[in-house]
Amino acid sequence: MSHPSSRRAALLLGILISAALAACGGGGDGGPAPATSTDAVETSFSPSAALGAKIYSDVSLSASGRQSCATCHSPDNAHGPTNDFAVQLGGPNGDVPGFRASPSLRYMQRTPAFHFEADGTPVGGFDRDGRARTLEEQAERPFVAPHEMANASKADVVAKLKQAAYAAQFRATFGDNIFDNVDQAFNRATFALQQFENEDPRFHPFDSKYDAFLAGKAKLADAELRGLALFNDPNKGNCAACHTSARGADGSAPLFTDFSYDNLGVPRNARIPATLDAAYFDLGLCGPDRTDLAARTDLCGAFKVPTLRNVATRKVFFHNGAFTNLTDVVRFYVTRDTNPERWYPLNADGTVDKFNDLPPAMRKNVNTTEVPYNRQPGMAPALDEAEIADLVQFLGTLTDGYRP
Amino acid sequence: MKQRILSAALAAAFLAAPAAALAQDTDLAKRVEQLAAELEKVKAELAAQRAQAAAAPAQPVQAAQPVQPAVTAPAAAAAAAPAAALASDTVFSGYGEVNYNHPVRNASGAQTDLRRAVIGIQHRFDEKTKVVAEFEWEHAIASAEDSGESAIEQMYVEREFNNGLRGKAGLFLMPVGLLNQNHEPTAYYGVERNFVETAIIPTTWREAGIGLSGEFGDGFTWDTGLTTGFDLTKWDPASGEGRESPLGAIHQEGQLAKSRNLAVHGALNWRGVPGLLVGGSVFTGEAGHKTPDFAGNDARVTMAELHTRYTPGAWDLSALWAYGRISNTEALNATFVGNPTPVPSSFAGWYLQAAYKLWQNADYALTPFARFESFNTARTYAQVPAGLGVPTAPYERVGTVGANLMIGQGVVLKADYQKFREDKTLDRVNLGVGFAY
Repeated sequence: MSHPSSRRAALLLGILISAALAACGGGGDGGPAPATSTDAVETSFSPSAALGAKIYSDVSLSASGRQSCATCHSPDNAHGPTNDFAVQLGGPNGDVPGFRASPSLRYMQRTPAFHFEADGTPVGGFDRDGRARTLEEQAERPFVAPHEMANASKADVVAKLKQAAYAAQFRATFGDNIFDNVDQAFNRATFALQQFENEDPRFHPFDSKYDAFLAGKAKLADAELRGLALFNDPNKGNCAACHTSARGADGSAPLFTDFSYDNLGVPRNARIPATLDAAYFDLGLCGPDRTDLAARTDLCGAFKVPTLRNVATRKVFFHNGAFTNLTDVVRFYVTRDTNPERWYPLNADGTVDKFNDLPPAMRKNVNTTEVPYNRQPGMAPALDEAEIADLVQFLGTLTDGYRP
Repeated sequence: MKQRILSAALAAAFLAAPAAALAQDTDLAKRVEQLAAELEKVKAELAAQRAQAAAAPAQPVQAAQPVQPAVTAPAAAAAAAPAAALASDTVFSGYGEVNYNHPVRNASGAQTDLRRAVIGIQHRFDEKTKVVAEFEWEHAIASAEDSGESAIEQMYVEREFNNGLRGKAGLFLMPVGLLNQNHEPTAYYGVERNFVETAIIPTTWREAGIGLSGEFGDGFTWDTGLTTGFDLTKWDPASGEGRESPLGAIHQEGQLAKSRNLAVHGALNWRGVPGLLVGGSVFTGEAGHKTPDFAGNDARVTMAELHTRYTPGAWDLSALWAYGRISNTEALNATFVGNPTPVPSSFAGWYLQAAYKLWQNADYALTPFARFESFNTARTYAQVPAGLGVPTAPYERVGTVGANLMIGQGVVLKADYQKFREDKTLDRVNLGVGFAY
């Protein structure tokens, strides 16, 4: 005798159990809610992400044996560097200087692949020049770059992976023979890193004071609120024109970047050893690291607009780390054109060598049309000192980990 | 000054109208008799057709349409049309307009636009059950690269119950104001729809839900319903859209409409005296939809309006007042500081309009009109800390004078001049051609 109702109940139970199991194995793109402990977070990872977490902080994968991803992108400092070096040191002995300031790796997961919009605006991509299409691709370079982890080759990296404590886990995840094919094994390692960055909510916790404020759960102090108004005001800071502060049309939290590129004419930074060569210029989109847009001289000097989340935790600013103080950064934005002598050296004839980190022919590419750059010496800066202080107060609300 | 003269003239028209009405009472009586005769004729025809097609009960659908107030021109057009129409369960209708705007102080801003083209399909399943749908294209071409839009303006089923109540469900036009449910170009004066009923009342305002309509007797009709409402999470403080029409910026139009919060509405209209319509409506509903991490979840949108239209003889006089409110926006507006367009806490407007059928023959009717409007899309804002708010907007006052030339019953040529008191750069001459069938 059959009992349809009990059979249905059994079926329902089965579905529920499998759904629960699937959820345990889960770790999709949606991302679990920020967890309180590392262990709790990591149990929700997919197998790839769990491996990525290990690779991320494995110093044995570098030539020096002292450097991992976490060295320059420390979870303790918003996944950015913890020191105030303009460029980080790497190489076999940990003494080879790099060329660009290390960015924070937070809030990267919604970055689109590099492309040109219909109106010709370059948008998206990873690295400061957008040359990596995905986080996975971005993760390749540091392993073999001579000034970073400095492995001789991908095979060198894979050989080290094979020796790692988690090698068995790597085989279990990607197949027993995975180490037989160097390219495949290397790609799986960078894929694992990408999954880790996407799945670990600590890379995108959205728990700043500003997030709580947007949610109606916290109030900004008066100075912070004044700073936000200056940040948004198209005639004052106009920061939000590129560093988006409003939710997306789909309600998504703002990332404080529109993924576009801008040429700010940041001063040359003598703390980067490469600049000792007067002929050396880092031109961002048009090279030298990126090579496919070398002919687009109109893009020379343009770098990706970074997120401003956690900007107050940074110790150096801009692609070349030319600034070490956030207030100075804001001052630079508003007085670059009204008082250029504050930021650039003087030529022999006493004139200001404005935009001195670009070859003279490229200096016309610098953005001088938008607020707050649309000014001349003698004009009032877009913000006064009190307003700059308010703006910096507001930027402080973008730091993760706000606890009311 | 000009506006004052215009207002005075409009007021005078309102006062003078009853006199004119008396003078034309005889005329009116004749017309009523004529209509009564026509109605008898239609009834007879209907009975004959029913007898003829007893097995498949077909009937002239238009004749069974809800009776429009005698004051509306399109209702007259609709009543005239069916005689020619074949008896069918399914009836097509349509309307459209092409407009030319010429700002007088900025000739380079002159623009011609196929404002809208609409196809209506109404199908009657039986005597008491029908479905009504309207498909609209705006601005000629709709594609990813073009400015046009394609929209379903309404799509609902309606059932008449034995007690005379009519229930409907689907996407339908809100029973608000004079224009919203009656927005064909032949139904209003002026090339462009009036500002109060576009900026304050977001014509054509439709919501998805259920509605119920009925009559109290003595000329009273009522409407009520439970529908979707607005979505405040759509507010963009950086754009000027919310300044143009606060509710137009956050309407949902049945497009994946957030429905955690529903809205209620009620409308009451009185047509107890021939040629006179007096009515009003109220709509209210929350607009935050319990959206996670949204600072405006307690916000409520409320809209109230009063309207009247009086058509004694050749006169066509109307007046409307509308007031909108969005409450509990303090926390949300704090997140918008520095942006040009925070959410207003109130917006309002009114207009007076007088039209006079100056001349008509068998084919043409010329009706000059004048309208004075006063409206404000940002009348007040919820308080924000000192120095961080934006100033409230002034009332914009617009005077419009022009004429509609009806050709037959379904085609209209329009011309008018609009003068703006606040933003004088908007002063413009408008020309338009429209039709409705």
